[in-house]
Amino acid sequence: MSEIRYADARYTGQSGPIFGLSLKVAVLTLLTLGIYRFWGKSRIRRYVWSSAELDGDRFEYTGTGLEKFLGFLMAVVFLAVYLGVVQIGLTFIGLTLLGEPETDAGMAAQALAFNLTFLSLVPFLLFALYRARRYKLARTRWRGIRFGMDKGAWGYAFRAIGHYILTILTLGILLPRQSFHLEKYMTDRMWFGDTRFEQGGRWQDLYAPMKHVFIGLAVILLGLAAGIALDMGLLLVALPVIGLLWLTIGVIHYRVQSFAYLTSHKTLGGQIAFDARPQTSTVIMTYVVGGIVIGLAVAIIGGLLGAVFLTTVEGIATAMPPVGVMILLILGYVAMILGAGAATTALIVQPIVAHYVDTFTAINIDAANAIRQRVADRGADAEGFADALDIGGAI
Amino acid sequence: MRGQGTFFDGETAGRHRVEVALSQDRQALTISGLTLPADLHWPLADLRALSDHAQDGQLVVTRHMITGDEAPRDPARLVLRDPALVGWLLETRPSLRKSDLHPGTGRHILRKAALAVGAIALMLLVILPAMAGTLARLIPMEAEIRFGRAVTAQMERFLGASEPGALLCDGDAGQAALDRMLTRLTDGQDIGYDLDIRVFDHPMLNAFAAPGGHVVLVRGLIDKAETPEAVAAVIAHEIGHVVNRDPTRNALRVAGSAGILSLLLGDVAGGAVLVAVGDRLLNSAYSREAERNADAYALRMLNAAGISSEGFGDFFDRLAGAEAGPALPEYLSTHPLSAERAEQARRNAAGRNTAGPVLSVAEWRALRRICD
Repeated sequence: MSEIRYADARYTGQSGPIFGLSLKVAVLTLLTLGIYRFWGKSRIRRYVWSSAELDGDRFEYTGTGLEKFLGFLMAVVFLAVYLGVVQIGLTFIGLTLLGEPETDAGMAAQALAFNLTFLSLVPFLLFALYRARRYKLARTRWRGIRFGMDKGAWGYAFRAIGHYILTILTLGILLPRQSFHLEKYMTDRMWFGDTRFEQGGRWQDLYAPMKHVFIGLAVILLGLAAGIALDMGLLLVALPVIGLLWLTIGVIHYRVQSFAYLTSHKTLGGQIAFDARPQTSTVIMTYVVGGIVIGLAVAIIGGLLGAVFLTTVEGIATAMPPVGVMILLILGYVAMILGAGAATTALIVQPIVAHYVDTFTAINIDAANAIRQRVADRGADAEGFADALDIGGAI
Repeated sequence: MRGQGTFFDGETAGRHRVEVALSQDRQALTISGLTLPADLHWPLADLRALSDHAQDGQLVVTRHMITGDEAPRDPARLVLRDPALVGWLLETRPSLRKSDLHPGTGRHILRKAALAVGAIALMLLVILPAMAGTLARLIPMEAEIRFGRAVTAQMERFLGASEPGALLCDGDAGQAALDRMLTRLTDGQDIGYDLDIRVFDHPMLNAFAAPGGHVVLVRGLIDKAETPEAVAAVIAHEIGHVVNRDPTRNALRVAGSAGILSLLLGDVAGGAVLVAVGDRLLNSAYSREAERNADAYALRMLNAAGISSEGFGDFFDRLAGAEAGPALPEYLSTHPLSAERAEQARRNAAGRNTAGPVLSVAEWRALRRICD
């Protein structure tokens, strides 16, 4: 018996290369009217995946732009047909059944009927969520071995709807149960090679990460109640503001720490366990610092562009700068927007990913040596639904 | 040329320490290691490196090979860290950077693209219009009238009204003239709707029918018309749309198309459907068939009322002649009137007796001042 070996994960990606890559992708995406985004997303993922290593071996992303593009086409056709029929049906219902459109209430009712379209998409959003994770896993390899996930997107969608309804009916109190069971549904269908993951733990344990959400809510309610009861305007404003801030941080804390809990309670084949210790404060500070840096840069560049605009406009009757300057200004503006997007990837998204990776440990990694390859998953829609419904996420 | 590397065989997650060397015929890499059952020969021409890899001097090499994978690549990976070997490979093997596609990819793309375009076209051009036609007949008339009021209010907002009724022209004498014109047109006809004709005060040259018997003339059209007969012809044409339920059908079709278009253009929530409906009714044409039917209806109506249809053709001719160029008047651009259709109106007029002018000079003057 050899002793159990702990393998740390490490993230080695740098800001410079990913900024350059993101910017290049953004420019090409703009020039191709959005078509390049499928290839661009694949390239950025290849960079990010290969920046993460576990036990000294890098991850690999093998998804291709072409399969994403084709998957998107299929998803769009399907959704377009579905949406067309749903929309026309809902419009018909809205026109036939609902009241006077000239009154405000009637207008609202009719608008609601038209917006039911969004609700009719919810099952597909959830379906897409599962399929997107399955696709990402199917295109991830470590030591040459594929990850994978069983089919089960509709099962996920219907369970998720049930959990959502329950969570809404209990005013969010059953959110931990929802988080736990939905993650368990996915995890229990995940594979590395021929070996299955399993989600352990108890959903009640997720109340601990959620405590700051409750505190934030309590402070808001307390502020409102005390402010009204004691008729103190200051209390009525100050406490809810503090509570709202607390709630925001609490929500982030819940997301980070429920991830940590759920990851630390996953096992692979009953042999390999994991440990994840991301810090909520690091995640928040990354957002804040990155946001300030990018915000300042945008403000300065935007200010410069505005100054150039104003100085060149002066003295010209048409209130427009000369065409050449105008083109330069527009290019500058576009460059600023694209640069801000790339900077977000480099200064916020990647550092957060890096933090999650750097605080991750696999326990008893040597058991992985015996894990065998699994067959390739063709990945029918290659995330096309997620892309069409715009829930692709940052990376 | 030789060096150390790490090899993953693509079958298990075990790690192999390997020795990598150029084969004797200098055409392949020989990969050997204690844990490998046999030496491997990877032809140099097949070698491919992983692209967009976060490097630090590391090169991950695989082989070009037809597999069931997303890309034609051997699942095995050879990780090289030896700077001399990595440098030598990068320098002498430009094919490392080649990307490959599975055979038949082009056909695959074409097939899927054709399928996508075909499905969308089928939906937009066949299925939605058919559904719209069916549903438009099923809507109860009261609902249609209510909807028409909403659409008319929406139109008024589009034209810049701050509140409903702000643009409504309500000159008494003018309205009386309009009513007289309407009575003359519809006398003895079964319209099926209570027609509601109003004039909006806006220079736009336009007229439209909204669902449920609402017909709106925009002041610009009355200003431009030389004779009351021309205005009567336009009204008759719009009544034709009303009777054929074209506005309702169009609204439903546009609602369905808006769902599709919003998805293609990325606005999934599609909250702006009502706006889109109004916008389309104002700006887009009905189908050519719907226009022809409305024309035919208008001519029958004018004939029955003893009004000359000459004004119909002349009116459009005059508009096209006076304002030819990029900025076609709105009514003309949304109701494309071919020479053939203008000619049809003129043929219809030829040799037909009329029962006197549709409005007296005084009434016509009152109508032209309805917005004052």
